Amino acid sequence: MPSSVVHGALAALVAVGLLGRFYDRRALSIVLLIVVVPEVDTAFGWFMDGAHRTVLHNMVFPVVIGGLLYWETAREGSWIRTRWGARGVRMVWVGLFVHTLVHISLDWAHLSGINLLWPLEDRFFTLDGELALSTTEGFVQTFVEISRDPETGGGVVDAGQGGTRADTHVPNPAEPSDEPEPGPVDRRFPIAVNGWQLYLLFTGAFALVAKRLQTARPPEADGGGRKERQ
Amino acid sequence: MPPTLLNVAAGTLLGVALLGAAFDRRSIAVVALVAALPDLDAVLGPVGIGAANATLHSVFLPIGAAALLYYDTAYGDRSWLADRYGWYGVRVAWVAVAAYAVAGIAPDLFSPESAAFLYPLSDRYYAVTGGFLLSTQEGIVQTYVGVGDGWIELATPGTIETHHVDTWIDPAGEERRLRLVESGWQAVLVVTAAVAVPVKGLVERGDRAALGGR
Repeated sequence: MPSSVVHGALAALVAVGLLGRFYDRRALSIVLLIVVVPEVDTAFGWFMDGAHRTVLHNMVFPVVIGGLLYWETAREGSWIRTRWGARGVRMVWVGLFVHTLVHISLDWAHLSGINLLWPLEDRFFTLDGELALSTTEGFVQTFVEISRDPETGGGVVDAGQGGTRADTHVPNPAEPSDEPEPGPVDRRFPIAVNGWQLYLLFTGAFALVAKRLQTARPPEADGGGRKERQ
Repeated sequence: MPPTLLNVAAGTLLGVALLGAAFDRRSIAVVALVAALPDLDAVLGPVGIGAANATLHSVFLPIGAAALLYYDTAYGDRSWLADRYGWYGVRVAWVAVAAYAVAGIAPDLFSPESAAFLYPLSDRYYAVTGGFLLSTQEGIVQTYVGVGDGWIELATPGTIETHHVDTWIDPAGEERRLRLVESGWQAVLVVTAAVAVPVKGLVERGDRAALGGR
């Protein structure tokens, strides 16, 4: 996993805008909690092989939960709406947004990826590739590669699929490696790796600070050149 | 330089985060476009003005713009910008300046491809790359900057004389390659930004209706 700090930073950047009028410290804390929750499946790793990046890191649950949320929040007498009002509805949707597009998607592009279609299909997928226009190669797209098997003549689709739950272990601080070696265990808690992860940390922090410095739109806005600190 | 599409995605995310009540189709387009501007120095380089990732990747440009903006909006009785474009214009201008620095320059600085962000004071390219982790065996490991006795050191691939930044306008070899997305995480950011814009549109519409149809 890119560290929870990186997930948190990108989630904060997204949440500042999408929470809109419900943005406050409490709402932000809930979003940050939602974005780290999937790491709980690391704990299942002690009794279930390859549970980390499988149980809570897949695209099946977001789709199912998204459908359920749509039905629940749109129906007459919605429980979430009655209990928590418009704020609750906003929170669950922003929560689903950061869970899917920030946490699960970033992990998909990291190391061995995620068990994308679990529990429908037990197969890890890694999102990696490039998109480019080249004067010698034309349009280049290597995220999903479709080729023809030279022996059987059948089509082969390579979308970055790797092993299954049984043979894929994504290292994490709780279980640094699949087969423990004798001697002291080096548990590594990455904060940021590579420039871009540090960049996301700074950008998330920047958005939070900038949001704090901003003033609300005055009621008589657009009435001329009155001074207003932004 | 990292793909300009990545700068646009970062600018879009920043705009969604900070435009607030000034968010609309026009303002988000302006902010996304401003995030792409620094990469135009790839065009200026071959015609003899500065070099790619240097001329417009200078941190002094957004600092100067911010100073002008601050002067106009905070000193004196009237503000030219607020007179002309109102609260909306002032907010969009501040977010655009932030997008130029944070989404236009910084992604290049935080990548191995580097940016000469102190140009023209220094024509050296700098890159902030490395790692930062806590290890139970080695303690805190930090390799982004070298810390010496009272100074810090950044990785640098050279100066504008010695280091050529490969762009599709001025390629190192025969092939011109316009890179759109280089890796998985960049694809994730581009998709996240693309989804965030319509979602923010819905959010703003809901908030405006709730706050009394402004």
